[in-house]
Amino acid sequence: MRNRASLSKPSRGLVASVAAVLAGAMAFTAVPAQGASTPGVSDTEIVLGMQLPQTGPASPGYNKVDDAMRAYFDYVNSKGGVHGRSIKLVVKDDAYRAGLTVSTASALINKDKVFAMVGSVGTQTHISVIKDINRRGIPDLFVNSGYSGFYTNPKKYPTTFGGLGTYTVEAKILGKYIKETFSKNTVGIVYQTDDFGRNTVEGLATAGVTFTPKKTAATFIAGTQAGGLDAQMQQLKDNNVDVVVVGAVASAFAAAVSSANKIGYKPAKWIVISVGADATTFQTILGARGIAPAVSAALLAGTISASHAPAPGEENDEFVKAFKKINDEFNKGPDKRWDNNVLQGMNIGYLMTSALLGTGKNLTRPGIISYVKNNAAKLSSAALSPLGYGAKTHEAYTGFWIGQYDATTTLKPVDSPRKVWTTDSAKGPVTELKYTRPAIAADALPKVG
Amino acid sequence: MDTFLAALFSGTSRGAIYALVALGLVIVWRGAGVVNFAQMGQAMFSTYIASTLIQNGNSYWVGFFVALFAGAALGALLDVLVMRPLSNKKKTELLSSESMRAAIPVIASLGILGVLQALAGIIWAAEERGFPAPAAQEGFTVAGSVMPFTSFDLFVISIVLITLTLTTIFFKRTGVGLAMRATALNQEVARLSGIRTNFTRTLSWAISGAASSLAGLLITPTSNLSPNTLDLVLIIGFTAAVVGGLDSPAGAVLGGFILGLVISFVTFYLSPEDVFISILAVLLIVLIVKPRGILGGKDSRRV
Amino acid sequence: MSNAAKNPSIIRRSFRRTIFFIIAILAVGSTFEPYNQAQLAVVLIYFIGVLSVTILTGISGQISLGQGALMAVGGYTTALLMTNYSISLWIAVPASIIGAGIAGALLGIAAARLSGPYLAGTTLVIALAIPTIANRFMSVFKGDEGLPVDVGYPPSWFTNLFGEPTYEEWQLYVVLPFAAIALFFASNLLLSRTGRMWKSIRDHETAAALTGVNYSRQKIYVFIIASIFAGLAGALYGLRGLVGPSVYPVALSLTLLTAAVLGGIRSIFGAFIGTVIVVFLPDWIDLVLDNFELSEQVSNFMPALISSLLLILTVVINPAGVAGGHHHKHK
Repeated sequence: MRNRASLSKPSRGLVASVAAVLAGAMAFTAVPAQGASTPGVSDTEIVLGMQLPQTGPASPGYNKVDDAMRAYFDYVNSKGGVHGRSIKLVVKDDAYRAGLTVSTASALINKDKVFAMVGSVGTQTHISVIKDINRRGIPDLFVNSGYSGFYTNPKKYPTTFGGLGTYTVEAKILGKYIKETFSKNTVGIVYQTDDFGRNTVEGLATAGVTFTPKKTAATFIAGTQAGGLDAQMQQLKDNNVDVVVVGAVASAFAAAVSSANKIGYKPAKWIVISVGADATTFQTILGARGIAPAVSAALLAGTISASHAPAPGEENDEFVKAFKKINDEFNKGPDKRWDNNVLQGMNIGYLMTSALLGTGKNLTRPGIISYVKNNAAKLSSAALSPLGYGAKTHEAYTGFWIGQYDATTTLKPVDSPRKVWTTDSAKGPVTELKYTRPAIAADALPKVG
Repeated sequence: MDTFLAALFSGTSRGAIYALVALGLVIVWRGAGVVNFAQMGQAMFSTYIASTLIQNGNSYWVGFFVALFAGAALGALLDVLVMRPLSNKKKTELLSSESMRAAIPVIASLGILGVLQALAGIIWAAEERGFPAPAAQEGFTVAGSVMPFTSFDLFVISIVLITLTLTTIFFKRTGVGLAMRATALNQEVARLSGIRTNFTRTLSWAISGAASSLAGLLITPTSNLSPNTLDLVLIIGFTAAVVGGLDSPAGAVLGGFILGLVISFVTFYLSPEDVFISILAVLLIVLIVKPRGILGGKDSRRV
Repeated sequence: MSNAAKNPSIIRRSFRRTIFFIIAILAVGSTFEPYNQAQLAVVLIYFIGVLSVTILTGISGQISLGQGALMAVGGYTTALLMTNYSISLWIAVPASIIGAGIAGALLGIAAARLSGPYLAGTTLVIALAIPTIANRFMSVFKGDEGLPVDVGYPPSWFTNLFGEPTYEEWQLYVVLPFAAIALFFASNLLLSRTGRMWKSIRDHETAAALTGVNYSRQKIYVFIIASIFAGLAGALYGLRGLVGPSVYPVALSLTLLTAAVLGGIRSIFGAFIGTVIVVFLPDWIDLVLDNFELSEQVSNFMPALISSLLLILTVVINPAGVAGGHHHKHK
């Protein structure tokens, strides 16, 4: 009965110990000084917060976005900042675990006292905090998720604004292209069973692309593509699918191509949603498997994808040129290779700087929200589509162009000159968009307000 | 029929790798009485070493053998640094109970897994890379259609069968192997009969480390390499070992193939979303009928 | 717990302990910044979950790597009641223990025949498999998107009496009564004859069987009780914002086990200390690392590295955990 003795320790000991443990916990914890009336804004600094998976299974690729954003902000700071204030980006790693996201959001809000959240990555993780962020009136800008549920009901989430085109919009635009171009083919899809994959399927269906359920659709649980996609490719092959749509991340696309190759399955066309069509990731994975860059480039060549921004490989695009230069000089991240993720990070940095400039010297949370909401037209960026923000929606890019990878792993427009298509996240039609992107200034800083 | 053959081939080659993982777990369980959750962390670490060597221009086989050696060395090191001091604590009140003797090393191995994953993240970044295969990855043609079965899969299955044979011979025919079995049965008796139990324990960690590194080298060509990619492989391998019987190397191999086939047939015929539930169902059915796995006998450790 | 009821001194002792616990938490919590109040709420939630590990592993000697799955069961029960039937959290959260208890009974029936690594393996696969059900039955569980729920706002009588609390404070106040009840029951259970019987099963299965303990039935009871604690913790964990598969990953189960071992797997006080360490450690590490110029890559992985090293050191130097060493002195 020795254990019993140990448990009947006096209760006062317990309470004293509990108090001591907690007091210890508190003593270690810094309390930042409360600044001006707007949290995160002082005369010299603006503090911004961001959440993303920097470690863990979901981190590859996305863990480059924050470094690119910070590189752009550092560049802005080197030019004197925004209205005399430098921008500080505090990044929290949530490892893509929604339980942790709640804690890191609390840290950003209560401890780091951020002015706004910017460019947070992830859908499931963001769902867990979006309500709280909105309730507190904290601007939740340029979210890196294509989940339309965040943006199409601004009454529900008034402070949240997208940073990507929605999965639905992109799928509808690609769907129209597929229907017109491959009407004589059997179209199949492999998609990850989460919001991204399902929104993609829905968008394609809205556009009239038909998949006989089960027969030409193959699924996998997001994160399990590491085991190869043999069964999925076999299923598509057995159903004589010759146009394969991939609604999945880049590593899954690489796994799908490897598996198809393995079983001698050569579909006439691969069509990949932009999230999965990252040439760098594709070539890195295949390259480390001993597949020479020339061979992986050949595997990628002919693949159809879509984008709201210029392709990273468009060396002559003025935004690409300027961002690439800033990336070379200012990016201090572990992996700063120029790709879609870096371009997207730079673009969000540029957008955020525009929004801060436009809101003016007197920076408040309601101020920046109302500015972003009412001045979508002024917030230009590298994107070839305007922002869709307005009273009815907070969707970002509603325009996508369709391209095909050439032999040098650059996505080239299928139409010449490039055509950009636009639609909404609901049932609206897909129409051509006429948009002339404002030029970037010589110093690569936005000129707003 | 095509689908059936495809599922069969795909499941067999995956099963071979799960068998190898399970074998590594069984060796340490028998040799040291520890369920080693760090095993695929060790495999990940040595596969990264191989990957780095290969990317720096060395041949595949240099990377391959260095990784096997590194796996063995790491296994031995972990035993000496962590598990041996832990087993020397058996005299303490907590570890005097049977269940705690099983639980505490599990927790230590989870700590080791965490350290290895964090170190790999720091050294090699959390980027995803691929890993080369030493043999062609194009499927063979059977009855006019290309099957998901490649020269590489054949290589995998051969290597696994060779490893199994060598392990069996080692345990049954060599003095060290017999000493290890004796230690597994009863450490005190083994020690009293002059067996250097510390040495045999460390040896089983080293052998297991090499076997799991082999698994890492064989599985990453068909998946990708990142600090976390092998987590799932460990869970499946562990399930395979439990299904087959943790005390039995042959059971581990059997369990590996069973799981490989179950996963493959469920993915081909049902849906990938049913895979984990199916694994759970197989595990529960087997354990309800045979609580110590298919080939696991009565536990000699108990009572 | 029936035999605890027969012993008023045990109840009194547990009751005193609980009251002191409430006072200590309120006293310390009121001095905290909002961030640490939210962290303290997490401590209390994890504490309930860690108690389930203490009971299952520390007291009855069965290893579970799947307590996170039972937390998910509790979370989904609460979230479904709250979102589909607009039931108040004060009813939905206690109701979650029914769902978790049933799941625990089923698990216990399967687990009664298993021991050691076989049980660990089964529970690990359960931790992996259960969250995937959310995607299998999309229409009910809403897949990866999950079911958003939160603690809402305090009722008017509360604000009239105590003033308007911050959101974090309110989270703390919602969680505290449940943590206190959990502590009270755990304390009673451990001191009672049932608890002692479970310990005897842990230490000597055969001897316990000889003394007439129905070993399998007791194992099932332990599983049910531990599942109720886990389910309660899971319900409260979900109320932080979302009930979904990514809220209850396999890693959550391992975190609970880590906390239990760090603090001392056999004591309630140990469960509390371990929880405090696990929750606050990343903040302490950040605080220290802020003084060094580390590259992002290093600092990203530093908390995981240090806490894993600490876990290994604890286990190697003193497997009985922080509280374990402490109670040896009192013996």
